[in-house]
Amino acid sequence: MLRSNRPALSSKTYDVDDFAAAQELFHSNGWTDGLPVVPPTDAAVEACLDWALMPPDQLIGIEPVRAQPITAEKLAVNAVMAGCLPMHFPIVATAWQAMMKEEFLLHGVTSSTGGCAILVIINGPVRLEIGANATFNALGNSDRATSVIGRAIRLALINLMDVRPGGIDRTTLGHPGKFSYCLAEDEEGTDWQPLSVMRGIPQGLSAVTVMAALAPRQIMNEWTTDPKEILETFAAEMRANQRHYSIYGGNYAIVIPKQLRDIIQAAGWTKRDIAEFIYERARVRRGEWADVGKGAIVRDRPNKIHTALESPDHLLVVAAGGPAGGFGAVIPPWMGSKTKAVTAAIGACVDCEPPKG
Amino acid sequence: MIIRVLDPTHELKAAGVQPAERPLSLKGKTVGFISNGKEGTKGYFAQLERMLREDLGVADVIFRTKSNYSAPADAHIIDEARQWHAVVTGVGD
Repeated sequence: MLRSNRPALSSKTYDVDDFAAAQELFHSNGWTDGLPVVPPTDAAVEACLDWALMPPDQLIGIEPVRAQPITAEKLAVNAVMAGCLPMHFPIVATAWQAMMKEEFLLHGVTSSTGGCAILVIINGPVRLEIGANATFNALGNSDRATSVIGRAIRLALINLMDVRPGGIDRTTLGHPGKFSYCLAEDEEGTDWQPLSVMRGIPQGLSAVTVMAALAPRQIMNEWTTDPKEILETFAAEMRANQRHYSIYGGNYAIVIPKQLRDIIQAAGWTKRDIAEFIYERARVRRGEWADVGKGAIVRDRPNKIHTALESPDHLLVVAAGGPAGGFGAVIPPWMGSKTKAVTAAIGACVDCEPPKG
Repeated sequence: MIIRVLDPTHELKAAGVQPAERPLSLKGKTVGFISNGKEGTKGYFAQLERMLREDLGVADVIFRTKSNYSAPADAHIIDEARQWHAVVTGVGD
């Protein structure tokens, strides 16, 4: 069996007297996010590796700017600390593979003064296997799986990329998503295509999408059954972000819970229709900066139009949230298009050679 | 009961790099500035240029700006920097 053949773990070990001593060891060394951690024992880490069929020294990827290698063993140690069960680990590993793609610009995302967190969106059958809840309280400790998967991303950044506040992390203002920022899509509660399918992953495969994201901005519109009016509220929130934060276009996500989603779906709108409408409506004139105290940088281009999306493809439309309430959320990107959202299939070898013959 | 826990950090030492030879004097030399392009760099580098020229006798100061302030300097800037005697870079916000 795998266990007998698997190479031994190579991490340095520490013997502590009890659970409390383990906490003090980890906190005093700057190895946590400030919350208690699950002590990463050999057995717990090996269970994660066995579930994912990964040897300890398997290379998950190399961070392209600092050339930092990330191994399965080290990632699993951090996943265990975050509270992950073995079945959560493949999702964490795939998210990290996606984060290390050059277009994601992980180093910039995690070292910038413009505080963002890494949002992980889960699609496909794995959501049901891990018990992820895509409905009530989505985006806010809605369930065990998304809570610990999101936390594992951050703990691994702290320990494997030295992304500690005041160290590599130069963020001026963070947001609560830096503890954990993960949601599953409510695929059973919608007729729309899953986000992963919209982004090129075959239907039926599990996948994660990672995005460098600011905090969610909630909207509310319970007073119309016109899809255009509902989506206008989302677009207005995006325009507000352009005026108040960054005017430049990038990957925005919008989360549409069931009450508003049912109205939009009943009118026959697809995710593509939504993205095309939002693309047209979420745009501002550069001169609007003068209305919000930023007149100094309008310069000689007051009539230049800035779109929140470079194209409709750049909008991530996610079905999630509780069944009642005319709410939604806009999740803006970190600094326009400097980073791109990345989607990767779970358990698929992205660099494998095609079969010969 | 004793618990044996694993180190969660990368445990890697910083990659060994050979620093460039340090000039003993900047007099008559060429110094390049690689800016991230942010507003805060302008005054800082302007003052630094004055100090280099007036106090240390630097002959030439070359300004270059990265195309993406959050990413490493572009390859053509790195190539050009090989011709300079010293480089000043860093974050200005």
